[in-house]
Amino acid sequence: MRVKVWGARGSVPAPGPHMNRYGGNTSCVQVTLADGDVLILDAGTGIRNLGVGLVGARRINILLTHLHLDHIQGLMFFPPCFREESQITIWGPASPEASLEDRIARYISAPLSPVEVRELPCSVSFRDTPATEWEVAGATIRAEAVTHRGPTLGYRITDGDTALAYIPDHEPALGAPLAGLEPEWISGFDLARGVDLLIHDCQYADDEYPEHVGWGHSGLSDTLIFASRVEADRLLLFHHDPLHSDEFLDDLGATAKRAWQGLRRDATELELGQEGGEFAVGPAVQAVHA
Amino acid sequence: MGSPRSQKPLELILARNLLTSISTPGFLLDSDAAVVFYNEAAAALLGRSFEDAGRMSAEQWTAAFGPFDRQGAPVEVDGLATTEAIRAGRPAHGSFTIRAADGARVAIEASAFPIVASEHGSSGAMVLFWPLSENGDSSPGGGR
Ligand SMILES: [Zn+2]
Ligand SMILES: [Zn+2]
Repeated sequence: MRVKVWGARGSVPAPGPHMNRYGGNTSCVQVTLADGDVLILDAGTGIRNLGVGLVGARRINILLTHLHLDHIQGLMFFPPCFREESQITIWGPASPEASLEDRIARYISAPLSPVEVRELPCSVSFRDTPATEWEVAGATIRAEAVTHRGPTLGYRITDGDTALAYIPDHEPALGAPLAGLEPEWISGFDLARGVDLLIHDCQYADDEYPEHVGWGHSGLSDTLIFASRVEADRLLLFHHDPLHSDEFLDDLGATAKRAWQGLRRDATELELGQEGGEFAVGPAVQAVHA
Repeated sequence: MGSPRSQKPLELILARNLLTSISTPGFLLDSDAAVVFYNEAAAALLGRSFEDAGRMSAEQWTAAFGPFDRQGAPVEVDGLATTEAIRAGRPAHGSFTIRAADGARVAIEASAFPIVASEHGSSGAMVLFWPLSENGDSSPGGGR
C-alpha cells in the first residue's frame, strides 16, 4: 500500500507564503493498493491536484468521512468528474434526513455552484457506507461513526496484511480523558487498533485546545495518547489548523516527537502530514519522500 | 463479514460522556438491559462506584439494589420503566425504592429513554434518577 497526501489542512484552505511546506489544501489522501487500484480519502481541495494527474483511471472510489466543506470542496474541481469515461463511486455517511447525493448536491448546485450533479459528464454513484465491512477494489473497508460535530466516519482500510486508519476529524477525548478509559469506550478505537499507519486529527496544540473543546478536533496530547492506546505503528498528524504556519507546525512536530518519546515510542514513527508527502505503508513503513 | 464488535456504539459512548459531566444520577443500559455505566452522582446514591461494581446484568442489578415498590416488595425486571424503555423503544417514567450498599432505602423517580441509532437500531437506554425527599419532592441533580 502506498499513501500520498494531497491536502493535510483542516477547516478551510490556507494558501500563502508561510504555508508552502505543509500546504494549504484541505483533506485528501490517495491510497494506492498493492494491485495498483486507487482509493481516495476525502475530497477536500487537495483532490483537484490529485485529479490532474489521474489520467486514464476509469473506476474511482472516493471515501468521504463527512460532508463538512473542507472534505468535499474539491469534488467540483476534480478533473475526472468532467470525463465521460470516468466511473466514480462516492461513499459517505448515511443520514435519515436525505440521501448522500441530495446532501452533496446542496453544494454542487446553484447558487453555490455553476454545475449541478446531474450535469456532470462522468458516471457517478453515491453509496451509503455499509454497517459492516465491505470490499472496494480488493481492499476491505470498515467505516464507523466517530466523535466529531455531525455524523462523521473514520475508515479502516486493510489490503493484504497492511492496515491503515484514516480519522481526520475526531475528538475522542471530549468528556472522556483517554489515558484511563477502557478501549471499548474510546471512539474510533477498533478502527485504529494496531494499524500500520494512523492518519489522525491533530488540529490544535495543547495550549489551544481548551479554547476549542467540543469543536470536534483533537489537541496534540490527546492525539498521541489515542495513537499510543491503539498501538498504531506509525502516526501522521493531520488536519492542521488554517492559522498554523510552517514555522508553527515545525515546532508542533518537534513537541510531538518529544512527547511521543515520553510515551516510550520512537520519534521516527511520527510525522506531520505534508502536502506531497508519500509513504509506502506496510509492516515496515518507510517515507519515500516528503 | 463483520468482525465481532467489542466497541460500544458511538451513541452509547457519547451518552456516557454526557453522564460523566452531569450531577444528576444517571445510568446507561445496553440493549440487553445490563447496566454498563453509571456516573459519580449515581455512585453517591448507591454507595458503590461503577469501577467497583462493573457491568451488571438486570438480574445482578436487582439483586444488589432492588428496586422495591412502595410496600417494600421487589419489583420484577419486566415491570421496570427501564425495561419498558428498551423493549418497547419508548420513554418511560416510574417511581420505586432502591436499597443502597449501606442498606438505606432511597425513594426515587426514574426517567428512562431509549437510545436508538439508525445504524445499530436500539443501543440501550439512559436512565436518570430523581431521589425523592421525605415529603416526596424530587430533588433535581442531587445525590443523597
Ligand atoms: Zn475537517
Ligand atoms: Zn469536520
